[in-house]
Amino acid sequence: MASAVRQKWDRASGFYDRMVRADDARFGDAKASLFRRMRGRCLMMAAGTGHDFLHFPPGLRVVAIDISGVMLARARGPASAYPGALGLVQADAQALPFADRSFDCAVTSCTLCSVPDPVQGLREIRRVLRPEAPLLLFEHVRSRLAPVALTQDLLTPLSRRFGPDMNRDTVGNVQRAGFRVLREANIYLDIVKALEAVPA
Amino acid sequence: MALEATQVTRPRGPSRAYLVGDYAAGAATALAAALPIHALVDTGWDIVLAMLVGVGIGTLAHLAVLAVAGPLVGFFQVMAPGGVIGMYGGMLFGMRDSMQAASWPQTVAVAVLFGLVVVACLDLYDRALRRSQEAG
Repeated sequence: MASAVRQKWDRASGFYDRMVRADDARFGDAKASLFRRMRGRCLMMAAGTGHDFLHFPPGLRVVAIDISGVMLARARGPASAYPGALGLVQADAQALPFADRSFDCAVTSCTLCSVPDPVQGLREIRRVLRPEAPLLLFEHVRSRLAPVALTQDLLTPLSRRFGPDMNRDTVGNVQRAGFRVLREANIYLDIVKALEAVPA
Repeated sequence: MALEATQVTRPRGPSRAYLVGDYAAGAATALAAALPIHALVDTGWDIVLAMLVGVGIGTLAHLAVLAVAGPLVGFFQVMAPGGVIGMYGGMLFGMRDSMQAASWPQTVAVAVLFGLVVVACLDLYDRALRRSQEAG
């Protein structure tokens, strides 16, 4: 499974930045606002090509993981431009190679739509976070508007072949993994959300 | 579990260029659905068959426009209204073409109007969510 996921994102790395350019432009302010809450030693899940690093506050110690080595190779430039310490590690979000309670903060950005077992990935985040450490999530989810949700359900079998699922219940998954949601903001409709959670 | 009111900042709204892009993508999705449906479905078709064909063509039109316009305008802003326009609009266009002999200009005009109205409705809903969030 991990190998198939890695290969999918290796392939996607070639066109990923072009695909998300407009999303970055439209959601950049909201991401920067959410990531302003980052602190101390931070874990970033699924860094991709590193296009989110510019939204991080300066001066942090960030460890950014991704399952795709090709993605991480593209992320080296943005990582070196970050005004702080930012290390890149190739790792599976469902089996993090870090000690328990070793991070002060974790962030995701359109990550949990792509992790095959998102609850397991979130449990791993919970394991490596210190008590009361915030988990900041910028994610897209299944709409509660039935006509929109139905189209997301129909689109997902196709989108999953090239990239993410479009219909995940990420707020529910965060709670199922043992987090308490402190804040939830709708960024676009009720599809794109910014969340802040802490281990329950 | 009750969620606390949130103060996470969200964008004030799309820039004018993106807003124009949202509406253009909606109109393009509706046209990409309506024109092939009008060419294929004739009056006298079984209405259920016409609806199903319309849904299929409309969904394909949505995917095609999403692939082109998504990277330019934003995937979510094209996907949400485009899915509604393609699937439900395609169904309506198929029904219409099985029941009445619409002209090509009428087909184009109604399709563009339908696309713009759906985008406007979702834009208004998005703004309403933003207002309630800011108030809450």
